[in-house]
Amino acid sequence: MSSPVGFATERHLDVREDIERGAEPFQRIVAAVGELGPDEALVLHVPFEPLPLYKVLGARGFAHRAERRAPGDWWIWFYRQAPASTSAPAAPSAAIAPPIPGDQGVIRLDVRGMEPPWPMVRALEALERLGPRGRLEVLHDRRPLFLYPQLDERGFCHATDEPEPGLVRIAIWREASQA
Amino acid sequence: MIPLPTRGVASPPSVTLPLAYLGSAATAFVLAALSLPALGAELTGHYYQPRLLALVHVVALGWITLAILGASYQLIPVAIERPLWSERLARWQLGALVAGIVGMISHFWTGRWAGLAWAAALVGAGALAHVVNVALTLRAVARWTFTARCLALGLAGLALTVGFGITLAVTHGRDVFPGGVLAAVQAHFHVALLGWIAPMILGVAARVYPMFLLAPEPDGRGARIQLWGLGLGVPALAAGLLLGRVTLLVPGAAAVAVALAVHATWVIHFARRRKRPAVDSGLRFALTGTAYLVPGAALGFLLALGGRPRVAMAYAIVALGGWVSFTIVGMMLKIVPFLVWYRVYAPRAGREPVPMLAQLSWPSAERLAYGLLTGGTLALALAVTAGVRPAITASATAFAAGAVAFAAALGRTLLHLLPGPGRRPVPAPLPAEPR
Repeated sequence: MSSPVGFATERHLDVREDIERGAEPFQRIVAAVGELGPDEALVLHVPFEPLPLYKVLGARGFAHRAERRAPGDWWIWFYRQAPASTSAPAAPSAAIAPPIPGDQGVIRLDVRGMEPPWPMVRALEALERLGPRGRLEVLHDRRPLFLYPQLDERGFCHATDEPEPGLVRIAIWREASQA
Repeated sequence: MIPLPTRGVASPPSVTLPLAYLGSAATAFVLAALSLPALGAELTGHYYQPRLLALVHVVALGWITLAILGASYQLIPVAIERPLWSERLARWQLGALVAGIVGMISHFWTGRWAGLAWAAALVGAGALAHVVNVALTLRAVARWTFTARCLALGLAGLALTVGFGITLAVTHGRDVFPGGVLAAVQAHFHVALLGWIAPMILGVAARVYPMFLLAPEPDGRGARIQLWGLGLGVPALAAGLLLGRVTLLVPGAAAVAVALAVHATWVIHFARRRKRPAVDSGLRFALTGTAYLVPGAALGFLLALGGRPRVAMAYAIVALGGWVSFTIVGMMLKIVPFLVWYRVYAPRAGREPVPMLAQLSWPSAERLAYGLLTGGTLALALAVTAGVRPAITASATAFAAGAVAFAAALGRTLLHLLPGPGRRPVPAPLPAEPR
């Protein structure tokens, strides 16, 4: 499986069974990220997106990328943030989804500043026109919680990140086109 | 230990749950409005009368509280990006709340106090379930935004209001409050209005108004003033009323006034800097509701100077019937069409032409409701202050007609949930809102 963040070494930690039997995996996760080197990433396997964990590990200097591979199967990459520099924040064009063989390119859709439900309508219309190996990247003001179930029902994978404050980016591609 | 959420963010927020609450709330609003013309005699007298107590509780519990709960179940997942802790619990608590509210109102209306405490306890159980449900939802929140803090403040206010109300019901007829029963009733009213309802409006407005008006988010400088103003002002104001201490009452009222003034400044800022050229009925109602803070503050000032009971009633009409009700009516005219659209048309979006939200509404009924409700409320407040019964009946009738028009507009939107004629026609989509 290719890394969406391009690290030489990835350490995998699957805590789905811990959570299923009611055990608290937090200490294991903290210990695992504490051992990461500058060019390494921890790939955490969880049954849901662990939003509170982002804040906790973010305060300790770790960035993340999230990807929903299937219902109940989330992969979260944690890696050490680069030292602060004078460069601009991450450009929205940086890839957040895994590469697709025979990639037909990325369609970018900016729905910021639209009143609901226009962002959802525009995204779903664009997905209907998406090629089998294409990818849609939606730029949004907020996490579109009402869009995600529609994507699930239509068989799309999606990954969401927030490259800069106030900008949410959702990458969407067909399940069948996954590498 | 970090509490991890028990469900994924992809869980769809429920559509039927908020609709059940909002439908119950709208029913209570229409019933309260229809009873107004028959209460002309009571409205020329003192506010502490059985039927007026019944009316206030239909409005405060049946209309406002159920509407806030329903809107919360739609907006909380959006505002804090977490699903509700338990939708099943929220469904059960609706039954408890409706049964308790009906029981309380029946006892107030007939002036029979035996059993009131039991009905109030049922409402308390429902409110407690909501507090637990939202508190456990907030436990998983990733970012403590202004809206999330307002929700937490409102939960504390709800718990205090209900606890206070149950205490009033249990101790009815006994002289247990230092300032007397009327002082306790006033304190109860203000804890409900400013401790429970106000934080919810302030929190939701900060998150939702920019989204609907296509306006920039607030810069956050006024957030602390609003939170501290309510957080410190409401307990001081309530304690001042309860104990008859002006040294608590005046600074408490001043702190609340500053908080509400900053909120109004934010709303004006949203309206002035909006990218959306036209304002629909829902937003017009919400913005008008904010404008009603001005006469509400003026009447509150008169009341603090020792205004008569009729001034207190006018104050309640402007605050509950104007500021709060118009805000809720406006939000319902935005939320209900979205929920119906999402339920019926979202699965078809992108695959076939689907109507937009504006095409699910009934603009002429909404305009009629706006004219009758806003005019009726102002006229009713003036008529009650003057104590002129024919004017009270006429303005109350106008208000009731406005409530029926509002219900008709909502009903037409809800018809889309029915299979068949209710969903037709499906016109071509409107062009997207301008950026």
